[in-house]
Amino acid sequence: MSRRYDSRTTIFSPEGRLYQVEYALEAISHAGTALGILAKDGIVLAAERKVTSKLLEQDTSAEKLYTINDNMICAVAGMNADANILINYARQNAQRYLITYNEDIPCEQLVRRLCDLKQGYTQHGGLRPFGVSFIYAGWDHLRQFQLYQSNPSGNYGGWKATSVGANNASAQSLLKQDYKEDQTLQEACAMAVKVLSKTMDSTKLSSEKIEFATVGKTQDGKIYHHLWTADEIDALLRDQGLAKVDDEPEAGDIK
Amino acid sequence: MRGPTIIKAEDDKTRSLNKHTLMAFSGEAGDTIQFADYIQANVQLYTMRNDTELSTPAVGNFIRGELARSLRSRSPYTVNLLLGGVDPATEKPHLYWIDYLASLAPVPYAAHGYAQYYCLSLLDKHHNPNISLEEGMKLLEMCTDELKRRLPIDYKGVLVKVVTKDGVKEVDFDNDRIARAA
Amino acid sequence: MDKLVAQYSRPQHQNEFYSEQEQQDLTESVPPLSLKFALPPVDNHASFLRAMTDDLANPSCPIKLAHGTTTLAFRFQGGIIVCTDSRATAGNWIASQTVKKVIPVSRLSRGEDKPTNEPTPGLLGTMAGGAADCQYWLRYLSQQCTLHEIRHKRRITVAAASKILANLTYAYKGYGLSMGTMLAGVTPQEGPALYYIDSDGTRLPGNLFCVGSGQTFAYGVLDANYKYEMSEEEALALGRRAILAAMHRDAYSGGFINLYHVKEEGWVHHGFDDMNPIFWKTKLDNGEFSNVTSAL
Repeated sequence: MSRRYDSRTTIFSPEGRLYQVEYALEAISHAGTALGILAKDGIVLAAERKVTSKLLEQDTSAEKLYTINDNMICAVAGMNADANILINYARQNAQRYLITYNEDIPCEQLVRRLCDLKQGYTQHGGLRPFGVSFIYAGWDHLRQFQLYQSNPSGNYGGWKATSVGANNASAQSLLKQDYKEDQTLQEACAMAVKVLSKTMDSTKLSSEKIEFATVGKTQDGKIYHHLWTADEIDALLRDQGLAKVDDEPEAGDIK
Repeated sequence: MRGPTIIKAEDDKTRSLNKHTLMAFSGEAGDTIQFADYIQANVQLYTMRNDTELSTPAVGNFIRGELARSLRSRSPYTVNLLLGGVDPATEKPHLYWIDYLASLAPVPYAAHGYAQYYCLSLLDKHHNPNISLEEGMKLLEMCTDELKRRLPIDYKGVLVKVVTKDGVKEVDFDNDRIARAA
Repeated sequence: MDKLVAQYSRPQHQNEFYSEQEQQDLTESVPPLSLKFALPPVDNHASFLRAMTDDLANPSCPIKLAHGTTTLAFRFQGGIIVCTDSRATAGNWIASQTVKKVIPVSRLSRGEDKPTNEPTPGLLGTMAGGAADCQYWLRYLSQQCTLHEIRHKRRITVAAASKILANLTYAYKGYGLSMGTMLAGVTPQEGPALYYIDSDGTRLPGNLFCVGSGQTFAYGVLDANYKYEMSEEEALALGRRAILAAMHRDAYSGGFINLYHVKEEGWVHHGFDDMNPIFWKTKLDNGEFSNVTSAL
C-alpha cells in the first residue's frame, strides 16, 4: 500500500505523511548520539563516535563535530556524506554574508538558510531528502549564546538542551531531568559526559568514542569555539570518574 | 539642476534606511535616486525578513558591495554617499564616506565634491571626537558660511538631519545667514 | 655679398658691448614691456605650451612644469602675515621639499644677505604656479623696484610695484605664463598693503589671499578664524595653522612652513620649519586632525 506514496518525496500519503522524510529521520535514529547543552557562559556539544577502529586514523577524521563559522559550530547525526554537502553549503553562506556585510551571520539566519535548502529537497520531485539532523551552537550579538536543532524536513527550533541520534529519547529525558538554569559551561560539560555515558552502549568512555566541543567567551570578551583534543576529553572523563580503568586499547570494532 | 536652471531648491537628498541609519547622496541625476531607493528597499527587506535591523557598518559594507558590483557592470551608478548611524545598543555613532568607485571609509567627519576642499581643513581644525551636538551644529554653520563665501556656485542652502540614539530627525537651519569674505 | 662682407667687417669687440636696442632699454625709465624671448615657430604659443606641458591631459607631455603650492597672505592690525609651504612638484613627482616661495623684492633696501632678527626693509612676493616664471619675473620686479628707489630716492609703493608686475603679465597674456603671486609691504604712503597678481593680468588689492592648489584648505581655516584686530602672536599662529591645513590635505603642498611678518620697519622671518613635528604637536596638544587615527 505505502509503495505508492513513499517513493516520491513530493507526494503526501493519504494519512498526510511524507514517507521519505520519515525514513530519513529513521536513518538518523541509528546514528551516534549527539547532544548540546546551553550554559550561561557557553555551550557544549558532545557526540558519540560510531566508527572506532585501531586502524582508523583518529585525528584526521572528525566525524561528528564541525566548525561552520567563527561564531558557530555544529554536531551531526545521520549520513556523513549528506552532512558534508550541507556543512559546505553553510560555510559558504556564512562567508558570503561576511563578504556582504562584514559581520558574522546571525546564528538563526544561517540555520534558516540551511533549513530552506533541506526543505527544498522534501518538495522538489526526484530528489531524496538529506539524511541529517544537526545541533548548532553559536553566539551572536542579537541573542548571545544559542542552541538550535534541525532535521531532514527542514524544521528547526531553539533549545536549552537537546539531543539527536540513537537513544535520543532517553538522552532527552536525562537532559530534562538534570538541566539547571544558570549552570556554568563546566557544569554543562560534566552533565554532557554523564548523559552520554548512560545512552551509549559501552559502559566506559574514552576519547576514541566521543567528540567534544565548546563555544565560550574568553576573559577579554572574545568568542571562541574549541574542538577538544583527545587529552582534554580524557582529562574530563577522569574528573567525572567515567574513564576506562584499563588503559589497554580495546579490540577494534565497528559498531 | 538641469542645464542652467535649478528645478527644485529644496530636494531631500537623504534616505532613512532604518530607525537609526541615514544615507545622504549626490552624483549623476537619476542614478542617485535609483540607487538610494534600491539600497533603502534592500535594507528594509532585510529588516522584514530577519526581524532585526542591520547595523550601520553592515549597511555600509552592503552598499560598498553593491557599488563595486555596479562599477563592473555595463552602466555603473555614479553616486557618492555619506552614511551615518547610531548603534542603538552601544549608542556608538558611525559615519562612512563612500564614493562611486566603491571605496568605503569610516571617518569622523566627511564631505563630497568641492565642499571637501573648503570644509575639511575647517573640520580638521575644529573637530574633536567628544564634540557635542550643539558644537557640531556650530561647526556645520562654519562650513556653510565658508561655502557661501568661497564657492563660485550660489547654492540654495542645506537640509540638515541629525541621527541620534533616538532616531533620525530634521532640524532647523538658518540658510539666510550672510557670510562675507574679510 | 655686401651683407656678408659687412657682417665680417664689423669691429671685433662689438659683441662685448650692448646693442643699440639694449642701450635704449637701459636708459628707459619706464620698464619695457617688449617681447625679448625667442618664441617657438608656431601659430598659437599658448596652446603649443599647453600641449607640451599639460600633465593632466597628457601624462607623457615632454615638459613637466613645477606646479602646486599653497601660499597665503593676510593683512591685520599689526601688519601682514605671509606664509607658504615649500614643496615643488612636477606631475606626480616631488621635485623639492625645500623651496623658498617667499621672495624678497627690492634688493637695494635689503642690504646684506646675512640672516638677522632685525626687520629688513622691502617688499615680499610669493611664488605659486610655474617656479621659473615666478622666480624670473620677481627678480625682474626687484630690478625695477631698485631702479625706482635710485631714481626717486624713496621706496616704491606696493601699489606701483604690483602694477609693474600686472602690466607685465598682461602684456604676456596668452603666451602661457603661469604665476599667482602676492605682493606684501608696508609703506608710509599706504600702510600695510597687499596685492594679488596673476598671469591672467589680474591685480587685486585685498585683506586676505590664498593662492595655489591648496588654497581652498587654507581659505577654510583662515576665513573662519580671521579678525583684523588679531594680535601678532595670534596672526602668526593662524597663518601657520592655515598653511598646515593645506599641507595636510593637498598632495601638492608640503615640506616646510615658511613664515614671514611684514611690518612698518620691514619684514621679519619667523622660521622655515618642518611641517611634521608641527602637525603632530597640533594634533596631540589641541586634539585637532581627529581623522588621523587608527581607532576607526
